[in-house]
Amino acid sequence: MLACAAAALLGYVPQLWSQDTAPASPREAAPIDITGNWVAIINEEWRWRMLTPPKGDTMSVQPLNDAGRAETDRWDPASDGSCKAYGAGALLRMPTRLQIEWADQTTLVLRTDAGQQTRQLRFEAPGPAAAGPRTLQGVSHAQWQYAMGTPRGRAAGGTFAQGGRDQGGSLVVTTTHLLAGWLRRNGVPYSDQTTLTEYFDRFPSPNGDEWLMVTTIVEDPVYLNGPFVTSSHFKREPDDSKWNPSPCRADL
Amino acid sequence: MRPRIYCLLASLLVAPTAFAEMYFGGYWDPIFHEDVEERIPGPSIGDYAGLPINAAARLRAEAWDASLLSLPEHQCKPHPSTYGFRGVGTLRIWEDRDPDTQQLIKLNTHIAWQEQEREIWMDGRDHPPEHARHTWQGFSTGHYEGDVLVVETTHLKAGWMRRNGLPLSDRATMTDRFYRHGDLMTHVMIVEDPVYLTEPIVKTNGFRFVPNGTMTPYPCYSVVEVVHPDGYVPHYLPGENPFVREFGELHGIPYEATRGGAETARPEYIEKLR
Repeated sequence: MLACAAAALLGYVPQLWSQDTAPASPREAAPIDITGNWVAIINEEWRWRMLTPPKGDTMSVQPLNDAGRAETDRWDPASDGSCKAYGAGALLRMPTRLQIEWADQTTLVLRTDAGQQTRQLRFEAPGPAAAGPRTLQGVSHAQWQYAMGTPRGRAAGGTFAQGGRDQGGSLVVTTTHLLAGWLRRNGVPYSDQTTLTEYFDRFPSPNGDEWLMVTTIVEDPVYLNGPFVTSSHFKREPDDSKWNPSPCRADL
Repeated sequence: MRPRIYCLLASLLVAPTAFAEMYFGGYWDPIFHEDVEERIPGPSIGDYAGLPINAAARLRAEAWDASLLSLPEHQCKPHPSTYGFRGVGTLRIWEDRDPDTQQLIKLNTHIAWQEQEREIWMDGRDHPPEHARHTWQGFSTGHYEGDVLVVETTHLKAGWMRRNGLPLSDRATMTDRFYRHGDLMTHVMIVEDPVYLTEPIVKTNGFRFVPNGTMTPYPCYSVVEVVHPDGYVPHYLPGENPFVREFGELHGIPYEATRGGAETARPEYIEKLR
């Protein structure tokens, strides 16, 4: 029986540890570190992301419905460069660099040089902002999704392992209260009824590079027949020396 | 006897779930919301934009003639594992476990098109020596990092990174990472090739879980489609492929951009496209 008790206790100890040392804030509880400088590597959908596609080209946006195609056909090429292409629904598909940092213990700030956009990823439940006017970047609620559902990556007061490689988990961001925008620079639309779900994952490659991957799910009852799912990858850069802010056109 | 049963029950009740592994088994359909033109009908000849290829890769790609695929020897080739997960066809994943210990020995993947089947050894074994056989799917071992399945593949046959003749050598290696978020799976492949790449290629694409999925057989039999002299291999000699500029001309893309190279995947390359 003694052996039994010992075995049972040994199995329980990690749970006790994790409960007793529960981190105090989302920043401290982060299972992965996505802060830093990142550059989009455009080796997928190159022709549709590096260039403005021709009017009416909706290739790969398979869930687009008839209303979406009709709206796409209304696009005016003179509006190329509009900030509508830099809304949260498509911002991370842009050829851009990212800067991600903690603004405080509960808010991650994500900035892009392309279009000079700023997103606030708040771990606190949406408050008054959710009742305010819709915006290009909407209201984003962030949550950590831990490997196997338990915080095990980091004890309170501890420090990140170098590169975050041994941490388990993802950042999940749900965004609503969006202004209508474009999935592509040629006016393929999403409506202000859109809900955006994003999973941020970080991984190393064997040569030592660090990568950030964002899986994006756009759900729009107005212009899409089903979820539009893409994944975008960003390579870590040592500093912001290549940061090149270029504004979008807010007047269009 | 009874205390032992109690002991077992007690241990099971309080045991943490640290040994649980994310389950990837089942049927998955590829999501074609990215690169559908490249992945279904096929890429254009001469479209290498965004890929970190070297001059040798370009030379080899320009020698490629699509008629090669009409030869009986080439008709039933499966995709190599360095491409298959971006191709068409339902994916099935299943486990082999030791019947006594329930230890995970191996994961298997099967993709409908040309019946591509991979074995991913999860039992900690080493990769074979370099002189061992190279195959279309290669030799794969896997492990979990948190909820992420990580697979390392060596011993690949010479294959391709894009279906327009862009080659990969038999020195290529690949690391796959599988992420599951509910009914979505995002597959990451990182391919390194000292012969044809200047830096690793990273590609990511999605799959959707299919409850009660089915797998269609894909039998393939070679036939003579066009009678050629014995030993005929369709090809273009260097500088003689008439189609390499077609892609750029069709879409208004500078020829230099279509030639690819690591720099063409960076945001700053847009300045050269204006």
